[in-house]
Amino acid sequence: MNKKSSKTSSSNENYSHLELLNLGKIFFKEKKFIDFRSKGNRSGFEAIKDINLKIEKNTFVSIIGPSGCGKSTLLNLIAGLQAPTSGKIVIDGQAIKGPGPDRGVIFQNYALMPWLTTIQNIEFALNTVFPAKTKADVKERARKYLRMVGLEKASNKFPKELSGGMKQRVAIARALSINPNMLLMDEPFGALDALTRSYLQDELLSIWRKNKVTVVLITHSIEEALLLSDKIVLMSSGPSAIISEEISVDLERPRDREKIEQDPKYLKIKMRLEKHLLRETRAVEEVT
Amino acid sequence: MNKAISTRLTFVVAILSLLIFIILWQVIAQQGLLVKNFPGSFKTIESLIWWVSDPFFDNGPNDLGIGTNLLISLRRVLIGYSLAVLVAVPLGVLMGMSKLAQSSLNPYVQLLKPVSPLAWLPVGLFVFRNSEITGIFVIFITSIWPTLINTAFGVASINPDYLRVSKSLGASKSTTIRRVILPAIMPNILAGMRISMGTAWLVIVAAEMLLGTGIGYFIWNEWNNLSLENIFVAIIIIGFTGFILDQFFGFLQDKFDYSI
Repeated sequence: MNKKSSKTSSSNENYSHLELLNLGKIFFKEKKFIDFRSKGNRSGFEAIKDINLKIEKNTFVSIIGPSGCGKSTLLNLIAGLQAPTSGKIVIDGQAIKGPGPDRGVIFQNYALMPWLTTIQNIEFALNTVFPAKTKADVKERARKYLRMVGLEKASNKFPKELSGGMKQRVAIARALSINPNMLLMDEPFGALDALTRSYLQDELLSIWRKNKVTVVLITHSIEEALLLSDKIVLMSSGPSAIISEEISVDLERPRDREKIEQDPKYLKIKMRLEKHLLRETRAVEEVT
Repeated sequence: MNKAISTRLTFVVAILSLLIFIILWQVIAQQGLLVKNFPGSFKTIESLIWWVSDPFFDNGPNDLGIGTNLLISLRRVLIGYSLAVLVAVPLGVLMGMSKLAQSSLNPYVQLLKPVSPLAWLPVGLFVFRNSEITGIFVIFITSIWPTLINTAFGVASINPDYLRVSKSLGASKSTTIRRVILPAIMPNILAGMRISMGTAWLVIVAAEMLLGTGIGYFIWNEWNNLSLENIFVAIIIIGFTGFILDQFFGFLQDKFDYSI
């Protein structure tokens, strides 16, 4: 325990649920023999730098930015799948050291194990996180979460028999089944067609309302970010991407996808986001 | 409907081509077009029926039924092959996962892989002083490389998403190996095992010519008897057995085909 957390441990109000402090990540090239000899400082690719961000409990935060800006790197760092080069990630006052079941991760390509049925995919997560649970318990719980995403009937199907949207719903059920405080989503609907995407966005919203979790969503869709989020974090173009802006989306919930587009507040934020993304994308395209 | 017709057609064509082959063979042999006293297909089929009708007799090591010899060869292959798989899969996983293991073992693999396994036969005889164990040893060496290389390749090229899921759930290394890596690379392991089995079945025939007993020795023995038609019988039986072994692995590969 460091000084800060001992000071604040009496109340929860003094720190946010998730804090990123001066976070930076540099990808170094693999060390070659010549590097040992020359002792030269290895040059690397700095994906992100000086990222400072506070996320409150049970809020929905989207991270948006031009492609290649290090959004996925940021998510991998929060998930603990990669270690930051500098800075730290603090969850509920504790610096994280690696991945943990308090964070459920959802990947763009669903990442379901093709040799397991839908229900077995969820059971794998449950068995890994709760080794003490009985077989019947695990099955019951897996079934409950499949029901939540409306796929109870597909429980004995293999992933290759499911559509992309169904696969991502299974992945959402898997991520939520371990009862995380936080859901980390890396462009989860990016590979889906527009109609399926809308359907899953609504589905995600209703799931989020029922299961209180903090969501961090990586996306490059402005409309998606606006429809879903409480806060939108804008990242600059990479390399060495930084957070250029944080925008609160104070639109009333529940949000209706047709009505929301008439809201002048919505349009104002949308314009601002479009301008930013265009500027940053231009910066990427004109450099290369 | 169309499919049924085409399967029947394939069958008819296969039978026709076999008949033409048998007749051509008989004509060429009978006319002495190749060499004198070359056995014709009728004579070969006659001995095939004779050997197959009583396959398991045993009148001493130089006069065994063809079934008995086949079982001897199969036993050697299965023992040597199973031992090889038991070594190759864990070693392959290790090589695929660890850069250190990869760089320390790969030179040996690359150096030994192209060597004919028969080169190990004298080494086996010298060490084991036993032809049975030497045969198994040669099959072991034969079978190890394809399975090892395929396993290591499978681990190295595993879809990183599966590992990320496992890692994000906080799975231990042993859980990840047992529940994620091994099932994920089953197609690679089976492909390697299929190649290993094919090569083992090729090599056993040659090895047994030098070792005594088994289907390979049967061929050598019939050469000493100058009975070419019996050698053809053995070739047919070896080919048929190899085909069945290969089909078995083909069946397993279909079962473990995850492709979408």
